[in-house]
Formats: sequence, structure tokens, C-alpha cells
Amino acid sequence: MKKQASISLSPDPVIEAYKKDIDRTLLRENLKRTPEERIRNLMQLQRVAEELRRAGQRIKRQ
Amino acid sequence: MTDFEALLRALTGAKVKFIVVGGTAATAHGSARLTLDLDIVYERSKENTQALVSALAPHRPYLRGAPPGLPFSWDLRTIERGLNFTLTTALGDIDTLGEITGGGTYQDLLPHTVTLELFGMRCLCLSLECLIRVKRAAGRPKDFDAIAELETLKEGVEEKSD
Repeated sequence: MKKQASISLSPDPVIEAYKKDIDRTLLRENLKRTPEERIRNLMQLQRVAEELRRAGQRIKRQ
Repeated sequence: MTDFEALLRALTGAKVKFIVVGGTAATAHGSARLTLDLDIVYERSKENTQALVSALAPHRPYLRGAPPGLPFSWDLRTIERGLNFTLTTALGDIDTLGEITGGGTYQDLLPHTVTLELFGMRCLCLSLECLIRVKRAAGRPKDFDAIAELETLKEGVEEKSD
């Protein structure tokens, strides 16, 4: 890809620093799923996030 | 909430040529991060742009975050005048992109895709390596964590223990 030619994938010290905080257990569990299962799981997470957001708004109103 | 299955079904049903990119592509590759919208790069031919219009029109696309009541019309002319559209629809949020930083157009990205079987449909998805390149090219600090996760997936999560 012409537009990607100049973008190196060599280690970047900033990104390497972020890697220390990656939850590898979570990734391992994800990799046991199929891509479709991962997207279904994402939709479930969205539902939970939306429910938490609504709960937060209710608390603010009280 | 974004109904990824319904959006993908609408696009494939209308025979839109598109590539799944961004957070949803990252999820498909194993990312555990929460993403709220579907990002796609679509092919910019007139025929395909019309297919994109037809696919989303029944789901009332509107510019995400824009005030209501703008004279926005989801039609061929509007899309041809623009390139990238961040939309909200009845099925959820979708970004329809004619081009992405560091990746280019649909044609540029095509050799860097994998075919995934999703919900009974065959969808093109950006490869993990290309996804990393594109995120690196964007250079946004908010993506550093996502890039670190994608690179960990590429290196193989088993290599290092927690």
C-alpha cells in the first residue's frame, strides 16, 4: 500500500510503555471466541455501558 | 446501542463494497476495547455510492452530533460532494469513510483485508497489521492504548505473562 510505505511497525517506546498495562488474560479469553462471538460480546458490553450511563444520569438527577 | 449485525446485513444486502475498519475491526481481531460505532471504508464509484445510499436510507441516517433540523439529505449528490460521513441511524452509529489516514481508499486497502464470516455474511475486514499501521498513522494520543493492545495481539498474547 503506497500510503502506508513510510509507516514503520518498528517498536515505539511510547507504545511499548502502554503495553505493560494490557490485560492479557482478557485478550486470551477473547481469542477463544470466533470473530462473530467477539462482536456479539461487544454488543452486550454496549448494553451494559448504556445501562450504567442511564443509572449515572438517574443518580445525578436525585 | 449499535446493531452491528443489522448494519452489516443492510450493507451486504444492498451489495455495497466496503471494508470494516476501526474499533469493530479491532474487536473482530480480538480487542477487548469497547467501541460504539461501525466504521467502514466504502468504494467511491457511482454505482457503489448509490448502493450505500440505498442500504442506509431506510434507517434514517443523519449527521451525528449535528443539531436537528439541518437540511441534510442522504442521497447520491450529498455523498459525492463529501467523502467521510459520521452518521447516526435507527440501527446505531456508523462512519462511512471514503478514505482513511495512512490507509487511503477502498482500492488501496483491499490487498490488506481478511474475509470474515460474520452473522452468516462474508465481510472484508482490515488485517491486524494494517489496522496497526492506520492507527499509528493517525498519531492520536487517545489511540496509544488501542495500538498497544493490537500490537500485543499481533505479537501473540501468550509470549509474555501478566
